[in-house]
Amino acid sequence: MSKCTWIFFRQVYFFISLLIFLCLLLAVDATASEPATSKVNSPGSELWMNVRKNMATGKVTSQVKSVDSNVLINSYAQRWTQFRMTQLINYGLIVLLAVFSIIFLFYVIRGRVKLSGGLSGHMVHRFTDYERVLHWVLAIVFLFLATTGLILLFGRPIFIPLLGHEIFSVFASASKEGHNLFGPIFLVSLILMLFSFVRRNIYARGDLTWLLRGGGIIGKSHVTGGFFNMGEKTWYWIVILIGLAISASGLILVSPNLGQSRIIMELSHVIHSIGAIILIAVSMGHMYLGTKGTEGTLESMKTGYVDIKWAEEHHDRWAKECHDNNRLISAEDYAKLQGKIIQNAKVSNAMEENK
Amino acid sequence: MIMDFIDGPFWYFSLIVFFSGIIWNMGSIVFALSKVDLSVSRGSAVSGAIKTIFTRFAADKGMAPHIRLQIIAGYMFHLGLFALLFFAAPHILFLEEHFLGFGWTPMPHWAFIIASEFAFLGLLILWLHRILNPVSRLISTADDHIASILTFVVMLTGCLALLESFTALRLLHRFSVELFLIYFPFSRLMHAFTFIPSRAFTGAWFGRRGISS
Amino acid sequence: MARMKFYCDAERCIECNACVTACKNENEVPWGVNRRRVVTINDGVPGERSLSVACMHCSDAPCATVCPVDCFYTTDDGVVLHDKDICIGCGYCFYACPFGAPQFPDDGAFASRGKMDKCTFCAGGPEEDNSADEYQKYGSNRLSEGKLPLCAEMCSTKALLAGDANVVSDIYRERVIKRGASVLNKGVSYQNASLRASAVLKDK
Repeated sequence: MSKCTWIFFRQVYFFISLLIFLCLLLAVDATASEPATSKVNSPGSELWMNVRKNMATGKVTSQVKSVDSNVLINSYAQRWTQFRMTQLINYGLIVLLAVFSIIFLFYVIRGRVKLSGGLSGHMVHRFTDYERVLHWVLAIVFLFLATTGLILLFGRPIFIPLLGHEIFSVFASASKEGHNLFGPIFLVSLILMLFSFVRRNIYARGDLTWLLRGGGIIGKSHVTGGFFNMGEKTWYWIVILIGLAISASGLILVSPNLGQSRIIMELSHVIHSIGAIILIAVSMGHMYLGTKGTEGTLESMKTGYVDIKWAEEHHDRWAKECHDNNRLISAEDYAKLQGKIIQNAKVSNAMEENK
Repeated sequence: MIMDFIDGPFWYFSLIVFFSGIIWNMGSIVFALSKVDLSVSRGSAVSGAIKTIFTRFAADKGMAPHIRLQIIAGYMFHLGLFALLFFAAPHILFLEEHFLGFGWTPMPHWAFIIASEFAFLGLLILWLHRILNPVSRLISTADDHIASILTFVVMLTGCLALLESFTALRLLHRFSVELFLIYFPFSRLMHAFTFIPSRAFTGAWFGRRGISS
Repeated sequence: MARMKFYCDAERCIECNACVTACKNENEVPWGVNRRRVVTINDGVPGERSLSVACMHCSDAPCATVCPVDCFYTTDDGVVLHDKDICIGCGYCFYACPFGAPQFPDDGAFASRGKMDKCTFCAGGPEEDNSADEYQKYGSNRLSEGKLPLCAEMCSTKALLAGDANVVSDIYRERVIKRGASVLNKGVSYQNASLRASAVLKDK
């Protein structure tokens, strides 16, 4: 255990014991008898104290009928303000920057993970058109939502000093409207994603080994994996579960006139923002591994085909399956499938004319 | 200054290009039809034309199972775009003030939002399919990509200006619309108008020969 | 400079809702927006209390703290105002305000929030004082004319007080002292006491 964690545990222990001590003091105090002097209470003082503490005050009504019009003081609002201004903005920025620098450091130290045997040229089919379209719809919508969301979160401390209030508010308004409009598209593509990928993402035997060996980061040898390995499955479930939480809380926030109370909205915002920070942080890792991080991975989402060597190194069990079912495609056939070789001269002539 | 340019001269310029381009295109189609067919007719050309205009809304039976994604996304996009183009409150107001002098009942705000969401999702799927499917990629030209991106930009700037209170955002939307209008007659975006004569022509040709199309 | 505050004396408020009506009328607020509201606790039960609530014009306003576009400002009079040309209608001030002061035009389900609207202490907005533009966006600007907010000005029981915090608190302090004396004099809590101070104290 590192020293830091030890100090943390010691502090927790100290606070818990302090708490118990205070409770004991209160218990002793309660047993002491009331002083006999007469007190002049401010009229209704207890009532106002209860209102302040959000405690039961009896029936509260107002002739003005709107959401929470009968709530005199919502003391949770203060807690939410504190959360957004001191915790979310500060820790959110720290988390995002930290993850970014870890990925950058990882790239500097480890470099691009190359295929040990090089590319063979023989390809196997991995993702259908539909799956790839779905992936990129989700990716584009996610990037748009992340950008606009981060502008709204960090815009005030970062951009207002640079751009001024008037110009930034144009960006912020555009971000807010765009964010609200694209949110439901994210939910729809997420649900489609859930259905089309769920069967391949159920955890299976062998996944634990993957986890124990750190997904191949530790050591040079590659670890076993099926169609998706443990890391990809976890990423999938993070996207689905956190994505659904973000979407649900987002829908509560985006339709303010359904009669939900402020506390529900404040909690939704807390869920929404924490979920978004986590998802953005983890997605940076996904984006790195999918593009720069490992050789040959991006091909699967670009063309739908991967090199069999790539499959053997990252998804050995799936590669074996492909070998067994004879699903390999030669380099030439692959080029034809991708339209890189056109045998029919007529077609190629027509193509050139068109261009 | 830019503001006056977008709201004034450039707007009129784009309108002139748009309308003259459409008239030119449609005119040349009509004049191309003037050849007289001397063959003995075996069926009605008119009924064939009218029938085909509508039957072509459904995809070919043999093709349909292979292009389900494009059909669904295509209808999502086109219906969504149609609804938000002609039934969104700010658009109706704009048409009423600048062109028609009369308006009609707009969709409620939530329907407008849902329509635009359908349109966005459909367009994204269609464009990504165009890039990602090798066959679509091969048969697509720069025109297709420019048209898709331009349409997307017009819709995006519109959605960014939804609060309807910032001049800069309104101008951005208007500017992208102007670019769209200028590009329109020179590109496949013309299909918004030509789909009717092209279907009618095919239908008439087949109808006259007594062949179902 | 003065520091403007509202104070509502719950011992005097009779829930007539005239302040709500006056505010709506004076400021021509949009439909569905209520800058001021009267909240009643235990309506019809002995010990019932009513309170007129609007923006409290906090010294350290949470709405201004959370606003992502920083559209709030505090005037020299201590009135918290906002710039509707900058507001993007995100609703964060609505979450941050403990009193529910920020309001949004009601536009049905799935609506995009419009620009926020709230009590301006009848002090208008950043536009030129008493201009048509200011009136259209924020309502009337009575403060620039040397008048106090209409809600407090026309309160029939003078429960709702508005003005310089020192003056308001002096008035209220005087009331509390008289009430305290009444409680001492009668030996009961104010809730059950007569609303008048006893004859002994009246002469003083």
